[in-house]
Amino acid sequence: MLALQPPPQAPIDAPQIEYSAILPVLILLGAACIGVLVEAFVSKASRWAAQVTLSLLAILGAGLAFVLYVTDSPERGLTTLYRTIAVDRPALFLWGTLLALGLGALLLIADRTVERGGAFVAQAGIRPGTVQDRAQMASGGMQTEVFPLTLFALSGMMIFCAANDLLTMFIALEVLSLPLYLMCGLARRRRLISQESAVKYFLLGAFASAFFLYGLALLYGYAGSVKLADIANAAAGSAASDTLLFGGFGLLVVGLMFKASVGPFHAWTPDVYQGSPTPITAFMAACTKVAAFGGILRVLTVGFESTSWEWRGVLWVVAVASMVIGAVLGLTQTDIKRMLAYSSIAHAGFLLVGALALRPEGLSGTLFYLLTYGFTTLAAFGAVSLVRDSNGEATHLSQWAGLAKRSPVLAWVFAFLLLAMAGIPLTSGFIGKFVVFSAGIQDGMAPLVVIALVASAVAAFFYLRVIVLMFFSDPAPDGPTVTVPGTFTTAAITLGVLVTLVLGLVPAFALDWAGTGTFAF
Amino acid sequence: MSNSAMLLAQAGAEVAKVSTGEAISFWILAPLALGGALGMIFARNAVHSAMFLVLTMLSLGVMYMVQQAPFLGFVQIIVYTGAIMMLFLFVLMLVGRDSSDSVVEVLRGQRVWAAILGIGLAGLLVTGVAEALTSVRPVGLAEQNAGGANVANIGRSVFTDYLFPFELTSALLITAALGAMVLGYTDKSKRRTQRETADARFRGEHDRPSPLPGPGVYATANSVAVPALLPDGSIAPESVSAIIEATASRELATDIETVAGAIPGPDAHALKPAAAKEGDK
Repeated sequence: MLALQPPPQAPIDAPQIEYSAILPVLILLGAACIGVLVEAFVSKASRWAAQVTLSLLAILGAGLAFVLYVTDSPERGLTTLYRTIAVDRPALFLWGTLLALGLGALLLIADRTVERGGAFVAQAGIRPGTVQDRAQMASGGMQTEVFPLTLFALSGMMIFCAANDLLTMFIALEVLSLPLYLMCGLARRRRLISQESAVKYFLLGAFASAFFLYGLALLYGYAGSVKLADIANAAAGSAASDTLLFGGFGLLVVGLMFKASVGPFHAWTPDVYQGSPTPITAFMAACTKVAAFGGILRVLTVGFESTSWEWRGVLWVVAVASMVIGAVLGLTQTDIKRMLAYSSIAHAGFLLVGALALRPEGLSGTLFYLLTYGFTTLAAFGAVSLVRDSNGEATHLSQWAGLAKRSPVLAWVFAFLLLAMAGIPLTSGFIGKFVVFSAGIQDGMAPLVVIALVASAVAAFFYLRVIVLMFFSDPAPDGPTVTVPGTFTTAAITLGVLVTLVLGLVPAFALDWAGTGTFAF
Repeated sequence: MSNSAMLLAQAGAEVAKVSTGEAISFWILAPLALGGALGMIFARNAVHSAMFLVLTMLSLGVMYMVQQAPFLGFVQIIVYTGAIMMLFLFVLMLVGRDSSDSVVEVLRGQRVWAAILGIGLAGLLVTGVAEALTSVRPVGLAEQNAGGANVANIGRSVFTDYLFPFELTSALLITAALGAMVLGYTDKSKRRTQRETADARFRGEHDRPSPLPGPGVYATANSVAVPALLPDGSIAPESVSAIIEATASRELATDIETVAGAIPGPDAHALKPAAAKEGDK
């Protein structure tokens, strides 16, 4: 029986929103919208300055709001907006990391001294290789839409880390991915390879999102809710078939692992890292990894901790596959950006060791590792963008031979960053690996940690190979030159190197902060 | 979870009865939806592919309505079938429906393995979901839909439980619009005037200052494949499109010989031989 007039509904209570807690995200989203309006109404000549000012102010403003909130945030965290967002200590740590890394990446993106007009194409709509393309190569402009897109991606990442239910997490995943797909295809030089990388990333990313969504649907069928806490409750005592739970979990994890470029779901990483404009590669490598592992930590800890016996073995295999693929294939690379991509796959495996530990030490260790890896990789890609010849960046390893004789400063900086990635003491990478692996051992994952140690030894070999190449080879006569960077790139690289050094020498304060709380739900 | 808990739960649950009407509509719509999905994959023509997808979406929309989700069913038909698929068709028509994909297999055996693994994954998911859902009882559907409150309840949850994801999709839409403009828009404001183009031609930016000569027009032929003659009787090769010249080059070669006087013509007033000019070069 269909009644034409629906029964009167009770009025909706206005939601209780903790504006002070989510203010950093709101500032970024608002600034991104204003950035779109700037594109529409500000003249082309003054757009770059306006966008850079707006984006920097937005990130600094979000940072200020963040700091003000952190100083008196509740110990146990809180959930707001009908429990879709959980602002707890791990989320706040990740937000701080993301804001700082986002600032560094924005500085790299805004730089116009290394390449005339910036690393981005002046007009992406022009087909590569045409007369118009050659004409725009000489012009100095860039697509300033990159700035609002970066802000959208950054806010998507922050929401992804704090999403307390799978639906919010899925939309945040799309909000962070869509701008990245776009920005990958906007390189000024080698446009075809850049566009190819964008198409690859988009197609594979769409597949991964479909996996995530399918998993979400199965989990909703299992628990009757998309909230992580409800899924955890259902897993503890539901009559529904476990097939839905584990099928859904498996598909969900595929989507998450893809974003984090873990193990067998890494196929896009080398191509996309190589083809994208280097500032975007830095942004992706640092910030996306942080956001994706933030999401993985929350899903595993909040949603699936009670069933960890069933799935842990599978993720062991994934972690081992990631470390082995990253370390072994990294050995065979001849392109510096591809080598760093495989290194990021290996690091994803190390991070997964910490994420699998499912104990406070594992959580704080993984958070700390993300912090250290983010800054190291940001500075490393910043340094890669400085080694150039007439065709743009000289990324082939043979061109890096004898770089120490051309530019000792850059060679030392890059060597330091590579040592940090290899996990040599006195760098942040050592502390990061130490805390993650010790958490793994405390949780009884000694075999996995042994494999991780072997993999990091293999990975150290290809980092050291680059160092040997830079310091002990003769430079080629027609080799690349090292561009002297302007303020922005210098600031970004300095930020990354300083954090790597400071966290290697006095890591206690960051470790303490990473270990102050657990997830709220 | 323990077996006893499972048994208790199942004893309490009455397995919902499927009414005859629902069963009939399912067995009509499900093969249509499945056939449409398969047709979408296997159709060679992109427009046919899109139309098959429309069939699948329509069937799904009706199925949603049968399952007491009228709003979802209508949204499926209006938004997906009506708006999105029509946009799809517009794009296909604009791009050109003849443009087809390359059928060359880059990786050997890729298709076979993709088919095997794809069917394997589909089989795994279908058996898993089927096994898991056969004993499931619908919960709370009657209260949600009481008195036609389906839409009102969806509105309520959009503005309460899912307020934030709902608002967040706006960021997604802005990004998509911005991306379409970044990739599609080229600035034409700096187009050259006619005068500037003419200056550029004579400055040597183009291959030749004048347009290409047209093809020859004769009493016997005015085809675009017939080359024009220059005042001295020689052939103007630019007057024939490069594509045509490539296909009819043999005819052109004899024409050149005839015009050059290599083949003696029957008429004493035939065109003057161009041999002298050739010799000058």
